[in-house]
Amino acid sequence: GDLGPFNPGLPVEVPVWLAINLKQRQKCRLIPPEWMDVEKLEEIRNQERKEDTFTPMPSPYYMELTKLLLNYTSDNIPKADEIRTLVKDTWDTRVAKLRLSADSFVRQQEAHAKLDNLTLMEINTAGTFLTQALDHMYKLRTNLRPAESSHSQDF
Amino acid sequence: MSEAYFPVGPGLGLEENFLSLDDILMSQEKLPGRAESALPRLAFALGQGAGAGDSIPEGSKLEIPLWLAKGLRDSKRRIISVELPKIYKEAWRTVFSADANVVDLHKMGPYYYGFGSQLLNFDNPENPEIAQTILQTFISRFRRIMDSSQNAYNEDTSALVARLDELERALFQAGQKGLYDFQCWEKGQASQITASSLVQNYGKRKFTDVDG
Repeated sequence: GDLGPFNPGLPVEVPVWLAINLKQRQKCRLIPPEWMDVEKLEEIRNQERKEDTFTPMPSPYYMELTKLLLNYTSDNIPKADEIRTLVKDTWDTRVAKLRLSADSFVRQQEAHAKLDNLTLMEINTAGTFLTQALDHMYKLRTNLRPAESSHSQDF
Repeated sequence: MSEAYFPVGPGLGLEENFLSLDDILMSQEKLPGRAESALPRLAFALGQGAGAGDSIPEGSKLEIPLWLAKGLRDSKRRIISVELPKIYKEAWRTVFSADANVVDLHKMGPYYYGFGSQLLNFDNPENPEIAQTILQTFISRFRRIMDSSQNAYNEDTSALVARLDELERALFQAGQKGLYDFQCWEKGQASQITASSLVQNYGKRKFTDVDG
């Protein structure tokens, strides 16, 4: 899409990669997203701890944005350290929850699940492990079935 | 280098994967059995008796590798009968159902799941129970593997891994890699370019060659 026009002192929306690049060349100042705020993040964290299921996140890339913004532009973000801790807490809570739900998923031998509020970063970190385990489990579960069908071909 | 290398994985179903090294090793494992008919001139090949011409009398006990047992199995002509190894028998199945986490599957296996699945080929009357036990064992050990593979960052996991079956080890590796990659990214190491392990090893080898 088109970007700009760029005027000194006026806010403009650009992709994150461009914002980081411009920031590194000291051509701009970054404005943190609205949710990157100590009070809001505290609320999100507490909500996440209260609920059994996953709560909606302020951004589908909350982990990535926090990391990039705090690494490159922490001078533009108030209370960067507290934000880092809060986001890390939220992540840890969610990952622990993910493990818990994966375990009950396996125990009840489910075959499908709906995970609307998980972010891509969370899915990818645990995804390979989980799908591989479910793959094994599927094979162990269907071990006896092909035996019955191949029998009829023998005779 | 590991990304460009696609080994054939184990089959784990009723059929092994023909080219899977894991499955070939698995089918080497011995199975207790009994000769149902006399087997002329085979005593030497099966490890009983010294002379090449000796035959195996009917009813003698044998230890046969799984691949041979599978080949000799025939529902009409009874050449051999196969017995269950003791870890798939009822006594051990009870142990597994009590707490699967305490069992050292590497010592018992190391291909507990694959071998157990292959055993279902022999039409044993206990087949449903065996299949059920294998599945339940996997399910109850799952949590432990998941937690240890995704929690223990930079910790010595060797004591843990020592008790895992080969299949579980692969799973453990997958979990560790997910965690490790994420931590690398978090520390900003993912964007750094490093020399491939192949190149690093090459340098080392050259050095020792000169030395010796």
